[in-house]
Amino acid sequence: MYNLMADILINVCLAFLFGSLLLGLHRKVMARVQLRPGPPLIQYLLHSLKFFFKESSWPKTISKPFYVAITVILCGIWVTGVIVGPVFKGSLMIIFGIYAVHKIVEHNSGSSSGSPYGKLSCVRAVFSASSELLLFASVALIYLLSHSMDIGAIINYQEINGPLIFKVPLLAIMFFTIIVTKAPYSPFSITTGKDIISGFETEHFGFLRGYIMLSESIMWYVLLWLFLCLFFGPISLLWILIGMIIITIITGFISAITPMLNPNHSVMIQFTIALICTVGTLIQIFV
Amino acid sequence: MNIGSLGGDLLGLIPLGDIVLYINPFHLFMFVTMLIFTFLIAIGRTETQVETQFGTLDDKTKTVDLKEFRARRFLSVVCGIATAGAMITGDLYNLTLFMSLIGILNIGIISSVKQIDVLDSVFQYGLIAMMCSLPLFGGAALVLGACGTVSLLAIQSIKPTAMMIFGAILMFIGACGESGIAPFFASKAEMFRTPGSPFLLIVHLSSLFIIIRVIEVLLIICT
Repeated sequence: MYNLMADILINVCLAFLFGSLLLGLHRKVMARVQLRPGPPLIQYLLHSLKFFFKESSWPKTISKPFYVAITVILCGIWVTGVIVGPVFKGSLMIIFGIYAVHKIVEHNSGSSSGSPYGKLSCVRAVFSASSELLLFASVALIYLLSHSMDIGAIINYQEINGPLIFKVPLLAIMFFTIIVTKAPYSPFSITTGKDIISGFETEHFGFLRGYIMLSESIMWYVLLWLFLCLFFGPISLLWILIGMIIITIITGFISAITPMLNPNHSVMIQFTIALICTVGTLIQIFV
Repeated sequence: MNIGSLGGDLLGLIPLGDIVLYINPFHLFMFVTMLIFTFLIAIGRTETQVETQFGTLDDKTKTVDLKEFRARRFLSVVCGIATAGAMITGDLYNLTLFMSLIGILNIGIISSVKQIDVLDSVFQYGLIAMMCSLPLFGGAALVLGACGTVSLLAIQSIKPTAMMIFGAILMFIGACGESGIAPFFASKAEMFRTPGSPFLLIVHLSSLFIIIRVIEVLLIICT
């Protein structure tokens, strides 16, 4: 007998475990490219669990209840992402909404702490959202081909018509740019740049940081799963995992060899990619 | 097109003559998220913003005074309710009205602060928002003229014409300006350098959610 609750729980746990290990692999790849041994693969997972047992700090300057609620919301939206994505294969529009709330979390967890580093990250989150949302929105062009925003229907479309990555490669590049944007130490990760300590995460310690790290690993898993399902169609779990490892290694290389861009350049490069790829895809579809 | 193929199967309808309000899982997610944030803003307190000072080792703190807090909280709650309304409306004209209301409220929320550089940026944003209200309403009027209705449920069954697509493009330009996304982002980001975290949140959140809803509406019109 199918048990929905068990399906959701298993998928959320898998997303957390695989997401954490993949982010560990990302750090390892970066370290090896930079000729360092790097931490073990399970380091990110151990870090995430460790923070749940650490003492939490409450700065005098915080905005209550946002300082706490925003990390719980972050966790809630990515668990919803797992439910809408891998469990139900539901509407891509909801994932789009979840991504928007993620940008809000980056914005508010920075500003609600009162820290100057968090504040700079908050302002940068507004910059980055202005282009990242456009990049994500362009994925709506898939609708012009598959006539559905339902992830299950898009997968079925590819089963009949072949993978979308060969039909609309520019769209795949746009979605890959979103993944690069969310990779740690990426050239576009202006909200967590080391010039502003850890950006919006600077003041969050203890279980609040635990929530953030847990959510980031689930987010990484969901974004990679989405990319593989939206552009490669119906592939087995084994191939999904292999695909996730390959994408993580590629993003690790990019993060290791590319310096972080300044906020204006980051936005304009993302905006340019979105514009070129959208126009190119429209020409591909209609001409 | 089938409207269920965008945000999931319909969960309910509220038929009000020509204008039919409808809700699906996507609208429900956006609506509930908006209400949660609006509730948190209503009960929330502002942070004390710490800034470094040049020339000394001292810190400078900035707070929101009570009078300013009350005015900004009221406008923020109204903005949250307007955004929640925009998430579930099934009427194109209501959507444009909600959008322009959100633009005005965003200006109001920031313009009660007393920092000159922040006021400068909100003035620039206000100019863009006002200018973009022309393509926004113009686009909606063109869609109405081309298909004879503003009900999204009715529009979804009409085959798109060149005029409807032109109207949709104008609406998109209007929405970009009203919400301050790229390439109009430069002035808007500077508005966030002021304290008042819960109020800044609603300014940002309303813009992002509006853009997502507009993309859904444009797909309904154009396909």
